[in-house]
Amino acid sequence: MLWYIIKRIGASIVTLFLILGITFFLMNMVPGSPFLTEKSTPEQIALANAKYGLDKPLLVQFKNYVVNYLQGDLGVSLKMQEGTPVKDILFGQGKFQLSIKLGLISLLVAVIIGIPLGCIAAYNRGKWLDGFLRVMTTVGVAIPTFVLATLLLALFAVKLQWLPTLSGSLTSPKEYIMPIISLSFYYMCYIAKLTRTSMLDAINQDYIRTARAKGVTTRTLIIKHALRNSLIPVITYLGPVIAGIITGSFVIESTFSIPGLGKYFVQSVLSRDYTVIMATTFVLSSLVIIMNLFVDIAYKIVDPRITLSSQED
Amino acid sequence: MSDMNLSKLSPFRVDADELIEKFGLKEDDFEKANETEKESMVEMHKSVSFWADAWRRFRANTVSMVALGVFILTLIFAFIGPMIVPYTYSDQFRNAQKLGPMEYSEDEQAILNVAGLCDAFYATSLNPGSLTALSKGDYYFTYKGTTYAFNLEHAMEKKVILLNVEGYDDAVIVVKESDIEEDGTFEEYEVLETTSEASEGATEIELKTSIFPHVFGTDSQGRDIMVRTMFGARVSIIIGIVAALIVLVIGSIYGSISGFAGGKVDFVMMRIVELIYSIPEILIVLLLQVVLKDPLQAWFDSSKSSFAQAMSDLGTGIVSIFITFALLYWVTMARIVRGQVLQLKKQEYVTAATALGASSSRIIRKHLLPNCVGQLVITTCLQIPSAIFTESFLSFLGMGVSAPMASLGSLCSDALETISLYPYRLVFPAVVLSIIVLSLNLVGDGLRDALDPRLKK
Repeated sequence: MLWYIIKRIGASIVTLFLILGITFFLMNMVPGSPFLTEKSTPEQIALANAKYGLDKPLLVQFKNYVVNYLQGDLGVSLKMQEGTPVKDILFGQGKFQLSIKLGLISLLVAVIIGIPLGCIAAYNRGKWLDGFLRVMTTVGVAIPTFVLATLLLALFAVKLQWLPTLSGSLTSPKEYIMPIISLSFYYMCYIAKLTRTSMLDAINQDYIRTARAKGVTTRTLIIKHALRNSLIPVITYLGPVIAGIITGSFVIESTFSIPGLGKYFVQSVLSRDYTVIMATTFVLSSLVIIMNLFVDIAYKIVDPRITLSSQED
Repeated sequence: MSDMNLSKLSPFRVDADELIEKFGLKEDDFEKANETEKESMVEMHKSVSFWADAWRRFRANTVSMVALGVFILTLIFAFIGPMIVPYTYSDQFRNAQKLGPMEYSEDEQAILNVAGLCDAFYATSLNPGSLTALSKGDYYFTYKGTTYAFNLEHAMEKKVILLNVEGYDDAVIVVKESDIEEDGTFEEYEVLETTSEASEGATEIELKTSIFPHVFGTDSQGRDIMVRTMFGARVSIIIGIVAALIVLVIGSIYGSISGFAGGKVDFVMMRIVELIYSIPEILIVLLLQVVLKDPLQAWFDSSKSSFAQAMSDLGTGIVSIFITFALLYWVTMARIVRGQVLQLKKQEYVTAATALGASSSRIIRKHLLPNCVGQLVITTCLQIPSAIFTESFLSFLGMGVSAPMASLGSLCSDALETISLYPYRLVFPAVVLSIIVLSLNLVGDGLRDALDPRLKK
C-alpha cells in the first residue's frame, strides 16, 4: 500500500512537471510578446523582456519557473496588473477560497444527491419514479454546463426575479444557489446513472440473495450490502468530476461574474500574461492531480481486490 | 443392432463386401449427391450478417430509434434547412433588427401585403448591405433575360418593385410603398424602363422571390436567428464528427499497436497514455486555442494547397479544436482498443495468421481491428457529443469559431449579453444543442446494446 502511494505520488509529480513544460513551451510558441502594444518601441520591449527575464534562453526561463514554484514564489504579473505579485492576483480577496468553496460544495451536492437518487431509482426499478429519474438523468447529461447556467439565469434571475442576477462577491447564501446547481447538475445526473447501474448489478449477486433469504429488509439490504459494492465505479468517476468541475467553473464564473480562479485563467490566456498563465495552470493542475491521487487511494481502500501496481481497467 | 454386427467383424481383416452386407448399404449410397439432395442439407434460415443482426436489435429498441429519428431531423434542420430559407448566416437586414420570433419588419410587412400578387420583387430595405454607401450610378437587375434599370431616387424613396403582377399588363412595374392599400391593391404605379446593358457603376441587386418569416426572430444586427442556428448546428455537428474520426484513427492505431506488441512497448505506450489522461485537458485546450491562432493563420495565408484552403474556410478556431482532439482526446479510445486487442490476440485465428507468415500490421488491419468494430463504432458515436460539448464550451468562452460564422456555443454566448431583454435568443440554440447531444447519447447507448450484447445493462 505504501509503495503504491509512493509510486502514485511520483507519477503525479511527473505529470505536473509535464503539464508545466507543455504550458511553458506552448506559451512561448506564440509570436510576439506580452509587452507588445501599439505604442511600444523595440527598445522598450527589450527593456521589459530584460526586466522580467524573458530574454534568457527558454530552458533557463523554465528552470527559473520550476525553482521559484518549489520555493512558493509565483512571480509577478506581466500584463493584466503589471508588477502585482501573481500570488495576490490569485489568492488575494479570497478568489482562490471562493473557487475552492464553490467547487467543493458542488462536488458534495453531486455526490450527496446523486448517489441516493441512483439508489432510489434502483430500489423502485421499473416503476414510474425510476422512469422519471431515468429521463431526468439522461436529459441532465445532455445539457452543457453553460447552457444550464444561462437558462437558470434567464428564468430565475431575469424572468421570475427570485434570485439575484449578478452575484459578484457571493455574500449571501442565495447567491450560491444558481452557480452550484449549474456546476453540479451534470455530475449529479451522471453519478445517479452510475449508481443505479452498479446497484442493479450488485442486487443480482449471490450474497444479496443470501442476505435476503436470511430476512434482511430491503432497505438495509440496499444501504448496508449493495451500496458498498456499487460505490466503486462512482469513486473511479470522481477524478473526472473534479477536473470537470474546475473546467465548468471557467464558464460559471464568467456567466455569473464571480471573481474566481477560473475567470482569471481565461483572462490570462487571452491577454498572454505568461506568469499568470503558468501560475494558474500550476495551481489548478496541482489541485486536480492531488484530488486524483486521493481518489485513487480511496479506490484502493474501498476495493482491495484491485492490483497494486496497475490502475488500468 | 449395428454395434452387435460390428463386433462380429474381424479387427484385422476387413472385407468391404462384408461391411456393405452387414450395414445393409446399397450401391448408390456412394454416388455424389444431386442438387435437390444438396438443397435439403442447407440450413433452413439464411445466415444473418453482423450488421443486419445489429440493425435488427437496434430497431427493436424504441428509445434509440426515436433518438435516431430526432438526430436525422436535426441533420435535415442543419444541412437542408439553410437551402430552404432564403437568408444566410451573415445577411444583415436593415430595419429588421431585434425582431421577436415570427415578427416582420415594417418593410417586410408591406411586401407581404402584396406578395400574393407577384412572383418576384425587390425592396430597398431587404438588400443586404447599405444603399447609401453608393455614390454613383443606377441600380439594375436582370429578370427573365431582360435588364431593367432604375435610379437611386426610386430606391431611396423606399419603393417596392413588383414584377409580373397579375392583372397588370406591363411586365415589370414599380409601386411606392405608400400607394399600397391595406388589402394589397394599388392604383399608382410606374413602368420600369428596360436597357440592353447596365450603365457604368450601376449596382446589381438581387431579386427576392419571397419573404420568409424570421421564425426565431433576428438579432441586434438584423441577422436571422433561425438561419444562424441552422449554420451553428451544422458547424457543431461537423466538428463533432470530424473530431470523433480523428480520435478513432489515432486511438485505434495507437491502442492496437500497444496491445499487439505487448511487453515493454505496451508498458511505455500505456504510461504515456496515463500521463496524457491525467492532464486537465481544458487548460491545454484553452492555451492551444490562443497559441495556434497566429501560426495557423500564417499557414493559411502562405500555403496555396487545396487542403490549406479548405482548412482556412473553417477558420483557425475550428482547426485548433481538431488539433487539440488529435493531441489529447484519443487516450480513451486507445485504452478501449488495447483492451480488446489483448483479448483477441490470444485467439486461434491470430496464431494461424502468424503461422502463415502474416506481418504484424496485416494482422492488426485484417484480423484484429475488424473484430473490434463494435467497440469502435460505439466509442466513436459517443465521442461526437463530447466533441460538440468541448467546441461549444470554447465558443462560449469567446474562442472556437470566429464571427460572422456561428456555432451553437457562440450563439449562446452572444445571447447572454441581451439575456434580460431577449431570453428566447438563448433558448433556441441551447435547445438545439441539447437535442443533438441527447439524441446522439441515446443512439450511442442503443448501438452499444445492438453491437455488443454482452455489455447490455
